[in-house]
Amino acid sequence: MPDLKPFLVLGFALGGVFAMSGVGLVVLYRATGVLNLAYGAIGATGALITWSLLDSGWGPDWLAYLACIAFGGLATLLYGVVFGPPFSARDPLVKATATLGLLLILLGTMQWVWGRDPHGITLPTTRWNYEIFDARVSGTQIIGVVFAIVVTTGTAVFLRVTKIGTAMRALANDREITATLGVPVRRVEAAAWLGSGILCGGAGLLLSNLVGLDIVGLTFLVIPALAAALIGQLRSLWVTLAAGFLIGIVQSGLTAFSEVAEYRTLTPFVLAIVALLWFAMRRQQTLVRSSG
Amino acid sequence: MIEVDELTVRFGGVVPIDRMTVTLAGGTCGLIGPNGAGKTTFFNVLSGFVKPVAGSVRAFGEDLLAVADFRRARWGVRRTFQTEQAIANLSVYDNVLLVHENTGGARATRRQDVMDAVTFVGLEREASHQVGRLGVASRRLVEVARAVVGKPRLVLLDEPAAGLPADETEHLAQLIRRIPEETEAPVILVDHDMSLVSACCATTAVLDFGRLIASGITSEVLRDEHVISAYLGTEEEV
Amino acid sequence: MTAVRTLHDGEAAPTSEVRTPRSLHGPVRVVVLAGLVAFVVFGLPTLLDRYWLQIVTSAVIYSIVTLGLGLLIGRAGMVSLCQFLLLAIGAWVALRLEYATSLPFPVLILVAGVVTGLIGALIGLPALRLSGLYLALITLMAAGAITVVLRIAQFPNGGGGFFGNSAAGGASSRLPRPELATGDTAYFRYCVAVAGLMFLLALWQVRGKSGRAWAALRQSQATAVAAGVNTTLYRLWAFALASFMAGVAGGLLAADSGGVNINQFPVQNSILLLAVVLMGGVYSLWGAVVAALLLRLLPAVLDDWGVSTELLTILFGIGILQVLLTAPGGLADQVPKDLANLGRGLRNLVTPKAKRAVPPT
Repeated sequence: MPDLKPFLVLGFALGGVFAMSGVGLVVLYRATGVLNLAYGAIGATGALITWSLLDSGWGPDWLAYLACIAFGGLATLLYGVVFGPPFSARDPLVKATATLGLLLILLGTMQWVWGRDPHGITLPTTRWNYEIFDARVSGTQIIGVVFAIVVTTGTAVFLRVTKIGTAMRALANDREITATLGVPVRRVEAAAWLGSGILCGGAGLLLSNLVGLDIVGLTFLVIPALAAALIGQLRSLWVTLAAGFLIGIVQSGLTAFSEVAEYRTLTPFVLAIVALLWFAMRRQQTLVRSSG
Repeated sequence: MIEVDELTVRFGGVVPIDRMTVTLAGGTCGLIGPNGAGKTTFFNVLSGFVKPVAGSVRAFGEDLLAVADFRRARWGVRRTFQTEQAIANLSVYDNVLLVHENTGGARATRRQDVMDAVTFVGLEREASHQVGRLGVASRRLVEVARAVVGKPRLVLLDEPAAGLPADETEHLAQLIRRIPEETEAPVILVDHDMSLVSACCATTAVLDFGRLIASGITSEVLRDEHVISAYLGTEEEV
Repeated sequence: MTAVRTLHDGEAAPTSEVRTPRSLHGPVRVVVLAGLVAFVVFGLPTLLDRYWLQIVTSAVIYSIVTLGLGLLIGRAGMVSLCQFLLLAIGAWVALRLEYATSLPFPVLILVAGVVTGLIGALIGLPALRLSGLYLALITLMAAGAITVVLRIAQFPNGGGGFFGNSAAGGASSRLPRPELATGDTAYFRYCVAVAGLMFLLALWQVRGKSGRAWAALRQSQATAVAAGVNTTLYRLWAFALASFMAGVAGGLLAADSGGVNINQFPVQNSILLLAVVLMGGVYSLWGAVVAALLLRLLPAVLDDWGVSTELLTILFGIGILQVLLTAPGGLADQVPKDLANLGRGLRNLVTPKAKRAVPPT
């Protein structure tokens, strides 16, 4: 039996970030019906902006880190404000496909501006090391885990307690009825875009530390987050949280077993496909909702 | 001959059809009732879209509920929809052909059968026109043509006159009256337009809150006090 | 009764106005099309040097993939994000079959297509009970999974074992070309012929029973079922057909100059493929040709001009948004319309009253 501890630590941290991103995806999907597939690309762009700011030595470091989160929030909000309304009545498939357009725009921009040189960000927390249960743990890894739990709890409380959270839940149930009840739909949606975007920026910053600042790699790290969200049926925050941790831990834990180590990146795909199959089997086939 | 026995449909706590028992003989039969009475749900049970929790439907001695949804059309159940569903991207001819070729219509007589149905509704001049470019009245007629092509054994018309002006409704009524003669299939007509129902249907059944509250000769049913209070009463409130 | 007739006649007018030019243009169209095909097959190779011929050959091969995906999106209303990886699977299967059997080339690519079609249908199977978004996500996950496995297994290079990739094998993974088309020009013509067959297959399917069933499905599941359409079968068939085409294209690609390697299949290409198919236009078979040119020819042209190809990724991203927002028909639909508008505008400039001259019906 190989020593699993270092892999499990990394798995927990990665899983935490997947979970956090998954929660961001679920919140946005529930409030607006948009599954934002550009989530990874936005986070990656934010991280590259941070790298540029750090590299140029302009301003204090914390401002550069904040820029990543701010970019996530603002870019997502901007997309939501511009493209949310014209797509609002369309099928979820069309809404999700549109975000692939955003993904390509950001990916092309990143490759154009930053594509030539290698990049890396090291958060100060990455250098803090602790010994927990005989395993070395970095500050960033702890942040990954703690943030996931805090964000999920915070979001769940926010949706339940605040006025805007209640409005988001209502929107998830029925847009038209919510709109006729006098809820400011646009503003509530904007809040969902912004909140989800801030999570996205944060996730981008953490992932650039945990797995490295690779443009295509980070862009497609939306897939494990998406897998977590799918296992949560794009509905449950808590299942998404658990699924995020599960994906991170399984994927990272498999690294320790040399026979299957190279197949470890299959984890999110396999888990998501299994989850979707399971939902498909359970789903009752009803063709029309009867009204008569 | 359609025999419905103790039919019950339940969606969660809602019971759109509650122990409905009725026998529908040949000819054109009206099915009326206020909104939410269970009329469309009944059609959805017959076309296999909704599975009832209890009860049986026997059509010409066969257990209709045992037939898979897409095979119902092959068996002979044809329907039109409350919101018109003629296929906008296909021509009138292809719309009707689609039904014929998917319901086991004989290949040898396909062209003739399809043209007969198109001619029956009077759209022979528009046969090659794309349905999406036709007006609402013609699109309703396309649905009727789809319902009569081949060998239908039961034709369900769900508010075929909804949204049509009076003169169009009159033309439609003439067509509907001819369906049983033309195809030998019984027709069930759901509509809120009482003049259409009286004009087309010899017998009528009335649903209210999922229950059958009256059935019989149309003119007598429409005079029935229960029907007037259940049906017309709600209409006025609306 | 008279009222009904009048209304019909009134509505028939615009329709027949639209139809008349089409029936007039019918023979013209056939002549233009025949001329175009003749030029592509005989004229084009003589005008191009080796490099550009290879680019155009790969565009022809990719047009088969875009054709399948366009059918799937435009006719059956389903989105797949794994077609690009199914192309890789087609190439892989063809290479393995060539190693294991002595089948002639046409049979080889046909079997590669059938195997890929079956795999595609298997991926699409769960989607039959899930909504369109979930189907797209399943295919996205499948694309990711295939990418991972492909990176590990690599393309067969003539080695033994199931995966057939070993250091002892050849340097490249290339399928030997058919005997009658070993040269680049001959192989280009061969690919055009196969693509032509695929377009005929698509046309036959779209105009026939499948096309009508898909049209019903796209309108609504309930409509299709009420018309007696076996919706499960036709959904699966659309998926299998698109995958079959990707598989055949994969076989052709494996015999293209240089063969195949995993660097030709980066993750983002699945999304780029979707982008060009949407931009080309999914409601017309011409859209597939436009899409293939956007995907293969445009990057080479820009590269030739010294323009960064990353800008193309951005352009395709904008293309997705634009098509979804304003031009669902894509370029294949938009360009003729724009040309027609331009023509009408020019004509109106010359004879201002032409606009009012509506042809009698």
